[in-house]
Amino acid sequence: MARPPAWGEGLPPLPDKLSTLNIGGSELDASWFLLLSAVLFGLGAVGVLVRRNPLVILICIELMLNAVNLTLVTFSRQLQNLDGQLFALMSLTVAAAEAVVGLGILVDIFRLREVEDVDELSELHG
Amino acid sequence: MAIAVFFVAAAVAVLGGIGVVAFHQPIRSVLSLVLVMLALSVIFLLLSAQFVFAVQIIVYAGAVMVLFLFVIALLGPARELGRGRLRYQGWASAVFVVVLLGLMWTMLQGVQYRQPDQTNLDVFGTVQSIAVGLFTTYLYPFELTSLLLLVAAIGAIYLSRKRIDDADGGPADGLGPAAGVGGGSPPTSR
Repeated sequence: MARPPAWGEGLPPLPDKLSTLNIGGSELDASWFLLLSAVLFGLGAVGVLVRRNPLVILICIELMLNAVNLTLVTFSRQLQNLDGQLFALMSLTVAAAEAVVGLGILVDIFRLREVEDVDELSELHG
Repeated sequence: MAIAVFFVAAAVAVLGGIGVVAFHQPIRSVLSLVLVMLALSVIFLLLSAQFVFAVQIIVYAGAVMVLFLFVIALLGPARELGRGRLRYQGWASAVFVVVLLGLMWTMLQGVQYRQPDQTNLDVFGTVQSIAVGLFTTYLYPFELTSLLLLVAAIGAIYLSRKRIDDADGGPADGLGPAAGVGGGSPPTSR
C-alpha cells in the first residue's frame, strides 16, 4: 500500500485564507457549502414540523441527514482529513437503517388502519 | 467553472428541498428528494469525495429512495387533510426555524477554521484512501455498522411479516406484532 506523499513534493501552496478551497483552479469558500447545508437542514426541519403525513416526515428526516453529511464532507475537505468522509459514510449507513425500520413500522401501522395524520397515533400519550 | 457548477447544484438542491416540503403528494416529495440527492452528490464530487459520491448515488438515490417509492406504491396515494389538531403549529414552526437558521448563521460567522492537514489532494477521497481509514483506524466502528445493518434487517423482517390472527379480516388486538406465531405457511402478501 503506497502511502500518500508528504506535503511539499510538488503540491500547490496553501491558500492565504484558511476557509478557501482550491477546487479545479477556482477558489470556493467553505462557508458557501456550510450555508447550503444549513438551508437544507432548515427546510427539512420545516417539513418535519408542518407536514402531517408520517411518510413525508420520514422523507424530511432523510433530507436533514443529507444536509449533515454535506457539513461533514465540507469540513473533511477543508481540513484535508479523511475522517469526516468516513463519518459521513457511517451516518449514511445509519440513515439507511433508520429508513428501513421506520418504513417497516409505518407499513405495520397502515395494515391496521389508514393514517393520514401523525396526531392520530397518540395512544401512548399517557 | 467549479463556481458555476457549485451554484447550479446548490440552486437545484434548494429547489428540490422546497419541493420536498411543499408538494402535497408524497410521491412528488420523494422525487424531489432524489433531485436533492443527485445535486448533493455533484457537490460531494466538487469536494473531492469520490467514494461518498458513488455511495450517495447507489445507496441513497438508488436503494433508499426506491424503498420509499415502493412503500408509497404499497400504501396508495394518501393525501393530507388540511390542518392538524394543534393550533398555531405552522406559525410556531416558522418561528422555530427562523431562530434555528439565525443560530446557524451566527455559528457560521464564528467558525474557527483550523490549519488543514497537508495531504495530496490527488488521492484524497479515493476508494483506496477511504478503505485504508475504514479498515485500520475505524475498524471497530465499521464492524459495528455491519451489526447495525443486521439488527435493522431482522427488525424489518419481524415488523413486516404476516400475522395469522389477522387473516380473517378482524383487526389484531394491539399495535404490536402478535407473539407466538410463525412457521406454517410461507408469508404471502394480501
